[in-house]
Amino acid sequence: MTEERPVVVVADDDEDILLLVGATLTGGGYAVEVARDGRAALELVRERAPAAAVLDIAMPELDGLDVLRQVRSDPATANLPIVLLSARAQEHDVARGYELGASKYIRKPFSPRELVTVIDELVGR
Amino acid sequence: MKRFAHPLTRPWLAYLVAGLLATAVYFVLPWNTLGQGFVYDGIGVSAAVAVVAGTLLHRPALRVPWYLFAGGLLAFAVGDTIFNLYDKIWHRQPPVPSAADVFYLAGYPFLAAGLALLIRRFEARRRVAGLIDAAIFSVAFALAQWVFLIDDLVRGSGSAAAKGVALSYPAMDVVLLAALATFFLSPAWRTVAYRYLAASIVLLLIADEVYGTAPESYADTTWLDTGWLLSYVLWGVAALHPSMRSLSEPRSTARQPRLHAVRVLFLGAALLTASTVLLIQRTRGERIDAVPIAIAAALLSALVLERLARLVRGLDRLRREEREARAEAEFARRLLAEQNERLREADRLKDEFVALISHDLRTPLTSIMGYLELTMDDETLGEESRSYLDVVQRNSDRLLRLVNDLLFVARLEAGELDLRRTEVDLGAVVRQSVEEARPRAAAKGIELGCEAQSVPELRADRGRMFQLLDNLISNAIKFTPEGGRVDVRLLQRGPNVRIEVVDTGIGISPEEQGRLFERFFRATTATERHIPGTGLGLYIACAIAEAHGGGIDVESEPGRGTTFCVELPPIRAAQSSEPELVR
Repeated sequence: MTEERPVVVVADDDEDILLLVGATLTGGGYAVEVARDGRAALELVRERAPAAAVLDIAMPELDGLDVLRQVRSDPATANLPIVLLSARAQEHDVARGYELGASKYIRKPFSPRELVTVIDELVGR
Repeated sequence: MKRFAHPLTRPWLAYLVAGLLATAVYFVLPWNTLGQGFVYDGIGVSAAVAVVAGTLLHRPALRVPWYLFAGGLLAFAVGDTIFNLYDKIWHRQPPVPSAADVFYLAGYPFLAAGLALLIRRFEARRRVAGLIDAAIFSVAFALAQWVFLIDDLVRGSGSAAAKGVALSYPAMDVVLLAALATFFLSPAWRTVAYRYLAASIVLLLIADEVYGTAPESYADTTWLDTGWLLSYVLWGVAALHPSMRSLSEPRSTARQPRLHAVRVLFLGAALLTASTVLLIQRTRGERIDAVPIAIAAALLSALVLERLARLVRGLDRLRREEREARAEAEFARRLLAEQNERLREADRLKDEFVALISHDLRTPLTSIMGYLELTMDDETLGEESRSYLDVVQRNSDRLLRLVNDLLFVARLEAGELDLRRTEVDLGAVVRQSVEEARPRAAAKGIELGCEAQSVPELRADRGRMFQLLDNLISNAIKFTPEGGRVDVRLLQRGPNVRIEVVDTGIGISPEEQGRLFERFFRATTATERHIPGTGLGLYIACAIAEAHGGGIDVESEPGRGTTFCVELPPIRAAQSSEPELVR
C-alpha cells in the first residue's frame, strides 16, 4: 500500500520541523524520507528517485542551495520538483532560490495545508 | 537726494580750496615783494598747522609720523622765512651755509622718517619685496643725481662748507625719493590721503630737481614756486583727509605684491639707468664717471638678484606647501576610505545580524504555527480547546507580524527596500484586504465597509500594497471600540489614486498627529488604554507610500475618529518593471 504513495524527500536540521513536514505530507498521502543534512538529502534523492523534495536552506554539510545546484546539474535528477522551505525571508533570498532552479520557495512559518497543495501541484496529483 | 557738501563741512576740501587760492594770489601779487614773501611763508606754516590739526581731528592709531611731517614742513617754512628775511628785509644774499640751510636740510630727515614709520606698519613679506624695488629706484636715481648734479658740485669752485651744503640737497632728495618709492610700492595706494601725500612729495622732488639743475637765487620768485607751494598744500590736505586714519593702520595681507606692467616698466627703466648715463656721458663727450656707474650697476645687479632669489624661494615654498597639502589630502582620503570600509563592514554585520535574528525567530514560529494548524484541523477538538488555540494562533500571528516588521524596518534603514512593480488592480487589493480583515472586525463587533471605485491599474508592488492596506485597516480596527465603524474607500483624485481608511475610533490629539509616522512612536491614547503595538505599522505604511512616490496624511479628532489618506501618483508603464532599490 505504502509502495504506491509517491516518495517525497524532506531535509531539515530542525527535528520539530522535520516531524511537522513529515506528518503534514504523510497526512497528504505521501511517503516521506527524511534527511537531517544536505549530504544525506542528496544521497536520498539519488537512491530513491523521489517524486519531489522539500529542502531547508540552512543545513549542515551541504546547504539546501548546494543540494539544489547538484540535483539540477545531474541529468538523472535535473527535473525533480524541489520546494525550498526556509526561514530566510528576504526578497533576495527568494530570488536566489528561484535563480538556482527551485520549483517553489516557501517561507517559514508556512501553512501545512498550503505545502500539501504545492506538492500536489508539482507532482501532478 | 544729493546733499550739498559745503567745503567747510570738509576741512580737507576747505584747506585745498584755500591753498589753491593762496597759491593763485601769490602769483597775482607783484613779484619779489614782501607781500609775496608773506603769502609763501604763510602757506608753508599753514601746511604744518594743517598736518597737526588733521592728526588731532582724525586721531590715527599712529600719530608720530604725522607729527614728524609737521616738524619737517615747519622746518621748511622757517627756512623759507629766514631766506625772505635776508632777501626782503635785510636786502642781502644769505651766507653759505646759512641758518636757512640748516632748517631746510633738517626738514628732509623728518619727512623721510615719517614715511619710514608709516611704511613699517605694512606686512613684513610685502615690505621686503617693496623695499628691494624701492632700493632699485633709489640706486638708479642716486646714480643720476651723482653724475648730473653732485659730481659737478664736488668738482666746482667754492668753499668746502658751501659744497657740503649744496650737495646735501640732492642727497636729501635721494633719501626722500627712497622713502617715496617704498611708499609707492606699498599697498596703501587705495587711500585718498596716500594719493595727496604722494603727489605732494613728487611735486617737492620735481621742484628740487629742476632747481638743482639750474640754480637761480632761491629767494627770487619763479614759476617753480608752484611745485613747492602745492607740495605744502597737498601735504596739509592729506593730513586733513579722513582716510589718513586707514593710512596709519597696520595692514596685513597674505598676498604677495603683484608685478603690474607699470611696475615692471619702472623697474626696467631703473635698471637701464647705468647704461643710459654711460651713453649720455659718452655722447656729450664728458668725462665718464666709471666708479659711480660701476658701483650703481653692481648694486642694481645685486638687488635684482636678491629680488629674483626671493621670488624663486617664494615659488619653492609654494611648491613645498602644495606638496604638503597634497600629502595631507591623500592621507585624509585614505582615512576616509578606511572609515568607509569600516562603515560598510558594520553595515554588513548589521544586515547579517538582522537576517540571523529573523531566521532564528522564524524557525520556532514555524513549529508553533505549523503544529497549531495541524491541531486545529482536528474536527474532534472541543470548543473550549479550540478557543484557547485561537488565542495561540492570534498571538503567533502577532509575533510573526512583529518579526516581519522588524526585518522590513532594518531593510528600509539600510536603504534596501525592494519594490517589485507590476500592473496592480488596486480595487482588487483593497477588496481582498477588507475581506481578510472582516473576521477581526466582526470579532470586535465593528462594521467594516468597502467602497472601491474603478481606478486605472497602477505600477506598484502588490505585496507592499497589501502590507500598506493591512497596516491601516488593522490599525483602524485596533483603535475603534466595539460597535464602531471602519470604512475603506478607493477613489480617483485628479491624476492620483487615493485610499481612505476612516474609523470612528479613539482618535489622536493634534499635537501627536505630526509624530504619528515616526518609527516606534505610540500615541498616548493608545498607551493609556494599553492597546498593544510596536509603533512600526504607520511608519512602514508611510515608507511604502513614499517608496511609490506618494504620501500619507492623517485627520483626527480625539473621541470622534481618524481618517488616513494615502495618495499614490500614477506611474507610467514605460517605467522599469525591474525590481528597484529605493533609497
